[in-house]
Amino acid sequence: MKLPHYLALLFSISLLVSLAILFVPGLAESIESWMLGFLARNAAV
Amino acid sequence: MTRKILVVALQIIVAMITIPAVALATMSFENRNNDGPSIVFPGGELVSGELYSGPEPDWSFTNDVSTIHLQLDNPLSSRLIWIEESDGKVYITSDYMGTWLGRRWKHWAVQAYEGDGLAVVRINGIRYERKLVRVFYSPLLEGVIDKKIAKYRSRITREAIESGETWVFELAPREGGLNL
Repeated sequence: MKLPHYLALLFSISLLVSLAILFVPGLAESIESWMLGFLARNAAV
Repeated sequence: MTRKILVVALQIIVAMITIPAVALATMSFENRNNDGPSIVFPGGELVSGELYSGPEPDWSFTNDVSTIHLQLDNPLSSRLIWIEESDGKVYITSDYMGTWLGRRWKHWAVQAYEGDGLAVVRINGIRYERKLVRVFYSPLLEGVIDKKIAKYRSRITREAIESGETWVFELAPREGGLNL
């Protein structure tokens, strides 16, 4: 993929992710719960 | 051909770093004005919950409380933090303060120490107006150390406190201050 296309795609996906987190109810909490679960399972004590 | 594979691999790596970073930054931004912190991200002013007024509480109930919400008045931001009760007083601690990175990470402690230290804590849904007063040397620190080790399996030591690696604050009453 050419660099301008790649950057445009990356920007679009990032923007989509940000908007989804800001405006989809409960999505941020779900991501945070998943993240904590992942850390609890995999982080070294 | 090899160059093409390297470019694609690099693009995938950059995307795998950038997209989660943007997501985390957005979540932190979204949480910044919330009524209290989330588990990971700092929040804003503590608004909900009855504001306690009356005589100094019996803080021993905090032995059954794992984390509390701590909000500084300046700046108005809140985070989750451990609490230790000892000898009728309550304390909070901040580790990793001996390094630049630690001070950036636990910047609230620097702000509390260098600022007025005025804070609000929310424990079991009730808000208490307090003042963070840093404790450097005190016989009472032994009780704080013992409580933190017993309660949180912490590796806190008196040497860490005295060297500035760990900062200890008493959640003192706003009027009257420390009584060591």
